[in-house]
Amino acid sequence: MTDYGHDLLFGTFVTPTGPEAVALAVTADRAGLDLVTFQDHPYQPSFVDTWTLMAYVAAKTDRIRITGNVLNLPLRPPAVLARAAASLDILSGGRIELGLGSGGFPDAIAAMGGRRLTPGQGIEALAEAIPIIRDLWDTTTRDRVNHQGTYYNVAGAKRGPSPAHDIGIWIGAYKPKMLALTGRLGNGWLPSMDYLPKGADSLPEMNARIDDAALAAGRAPTDIRRLLNFMRLDGGPAQWAEQFADLTLTHGISGFILGGDDHKLAETLAAEVAPATREMVAKERGH
Amino acid sequence: MTEGIALDLAAAQADPDGFAALAERAGGTVFLHESDDGGLDPWTTAVWLAGRTEGVRIGLPGPVLTASPEMREKAYESLEILAGPRLAAQIQRREGIDYDSIPASLADVAIAPGDPRYRGRKSTYMRGGSPGLVFRPRTPAEVADALAFASRHRHLPFGVRSGGHGISGRSTNDGGLVIDVGAMNDVQVIDEPRRLVRVGPGATWKQVNAVLDKYDWAISSGDYGGVGVGGLATAGGIGLLSREHGLTIDNVRAVELVLADGTEVRASSDENQDLFWAVRGAGANFGVATAFELEASPVGEVGWAQLTLVSPDLEQSLKQYGEVARTAPRDTTVFFLTGPPRQGQSVVQMYGLVDSGDADTIVERLTPFAQTGLLAQQQVVVTRYADVMAQAADVGPGGHHGRGEPIARSGFLPVLTDAFARDAVELLRSGEVFFFQLRHMGGAIADTASDATAFAHRTPEFSVTALGNSHEGLDRAWDRLSHHFDGLYLSFETDLRPERLNDAFPPATLSRLRALKRGYDPTNLFRDNFNIDPEVQK
Repeated sequence: MTDYGHDLLFGTFVTPTGPEAVALAVTADRAGLDLVTFQDHPYQPSFVDTWTLMAYVAAKTDRIRITGNVLNLPLRPPAVLARAAASLDILSGGRIELGLGSGGFPDAIAAMGGRRLTPGQGIEALAEAIPIIRDLWDTTTRDRVNHQGTYYNVAGAKRGPSPAHDIGIWIGAYKPKMLALTGRLGNGWLPSMDYLPKGADSLPEMNARIDDAALAAGRAPTDIRRLLNFMRLDGGPAQWAEQFADLTLTHGISGFILGGDDHKLAETLAAEVAPATREMVAKERGH
Repeated sequence: MTEGIALDLAAAQADPDGFAALAERAGGTVFLHESDDGGLDPWTTAVWLAGRTEGVRIGLPGPVLTASPEMREKAYESLEILAGPRLAAQIQRREGIDYDSIPASLADVAIAPGDPRYRGRKSTYMRGGSPGLVFRPRTPAEVADALAFASRHRHLPFGVRSGGHGISGRSTNDGGLVIDVGAMNDVQVIDEPRRLVRVGPGATWKQVNAVLDKYDWAISSGDYGGVGVGGLATAGGIGLLSREHGLTIDNVRAVELVLADGTEVRASSDENQDLFWAVRGAGANFGVATAFELEASPVGEVGWAQLTLVSPDLEQSLKQYGEVARTAPRDTTVFFLTGPPRQGQSVVQMYGLVDSGDADTIVERLTPFAQTGLLAQQQVVVTRYADVMAQAADVGPGGHHGRGEPIARSGFLPVLTDAFARDAVELLRSGEVFFFQLRHMGGAIADTASDATAFAHRTPEFSVTALGNSHEGLDRAWDRLSHHFDGLYLSFETDLRPERLNDAFPPATLSRLRALKRGYDPTNLFRDNFNIDPEVQK
């Protein structure tokens, strides 16, 4: 039994198809959801650029938090991404989180002019990118930022802007090395239920890898929020709430993100599932 | 320059809502100014501002910083999809282009990144592109003005585009110039007794043959109606009627073109004969064609066939196809297409044309082809050549949206030998080729002498094309077959190694072309499509 004790977040996983994606985000915002998230596959001709979409959605929404789910690092250089994320956080009043992945589909990435990396290289590149991003956000000193890495070189970069709030870096991770990286460097873990090898039964082992890496790095397991995407759910709102509450209390999952691109589903999630889940969790947590 | 105000990105950081309100009140174009202190990310701010305001146009301080040109174009495109055309065009300037010197005559037809028309003109059918400027001239005079502009920008890639179907990919680029003659697409019968047709280079073969169909005529084109006239009529044109009526270039009676120095010339068997010779096969090195006069052939009903065969022994099927194709009458043209074998079997698509409306003749001609494998599916119809061409979808003002780049190799096969069949099967087993095509040649193609046009490859049995996924992989596999080939068809070749020029043009042709190039394009303005450098001595 692991409950990391985070407040619960509910949100949607939106396909970045253009105006319809904006409409879905506006629905999620009005419905009172906490998060709207967008997958990032810029090589897919029918998708728009996810960062451009996020900036546009930020302008069209008022309260909801926005993140990539997850952004494709090989196509988004960390120095550019850091400045963009901090800027959008400022423009949106602190509503941006940074979902990051090491990037799959090497052929498609290469076709978009990105670097072709093996999965192992992708992880190393992500491990280099995160400290660069954090350094660029940190304006408590005026020292220039220098990073000489295998994948990224930053020489004498100016810091800033500093985001409006502490942007969480949430990592899409499945394999042991990525889970360890998440525990070492991340503020959140953002996998999809459908890709967990044994579904929810995989969670104890994967959580443990994150926890161990966090502890080894001198961090607390609670420093890493655990979120989960669901591409489809069986049953109805009452069962979902029970399932979510159980995932929170048993596995410490505190973010529930639903795919489906369905306006009605987003409204149901906000109006029925979220309050019911929160109530059950509050009761069990005893406050 | 558009009127507008400049707003500092540092101000946006201090008060985003006030910044948006100020931009809205100012209207017109808001130029985002980047101060030395950094401030907000320009692109993120621009997109956010587009979402926060109505109708405000936004000027960026410079090109958006991205991982690649592809990602930059994707970002521009995405904003346009989400918010409409909101970027001030001049801020998306590419380096090295003097946009301010675009002559007034071309102002309406100059399409730069950021222009709402740009999305439909940057890429071609099979290739993504991001040129810095596309000219879409409507007259020879505008072509001349565009060429004058191009001659002041020799440091940039420079493509000429008609239908945008070229596999070789020379009609778009990254950051360079393109002259797109797509708007010059008139089709007009000018001499009915002589079946003479005047055609603009931007017309497609679908459009041309739709007009000719009313006269029971057709012009030998390729195998797809979406292909443009200009590319085919200056390179060759190996198609479904070539065995009976020659290559497309063999039906050209006159060409009008604008030379590198802006001169408008006409070339035919009566005037500028040497240029007429060169344009038919190496046209891309000599000028921009603005009109063709073509002689149509009487063509009535035709048999159009699409056969799907399964072959457990591709080598055997290829040999058999070679024998059948070799002895087929001129009225019959059947192309052979396959991919990698799966589970020991190959699926072969044969498609072709029998120039006859008689069902018995059509069946008789096709039967031997259908017996080269196990016939799994067949569609044979009596139809019009124009209807075969009309199967191509109309592209319209939205243009092409190709992505990435095709990787293709081409070779002319003098004889389909047993050794070639064996090596072709090896090629397909290599996994480097996903598309392998033989175009049936012979017949009327060989009626013209090799030295009669700059296209010299008159006697091969087949034009062979392979498409692959990687340059290195395809080149490695294809180069192993090179001893089977004699020359290549430049329109189907993406390899940029310099020796390919010698495959495209045999020595005598190349040396004559080089001499002519020195006369017609001495400064080598037309240099991006199988360039014949005038300075290289033989």
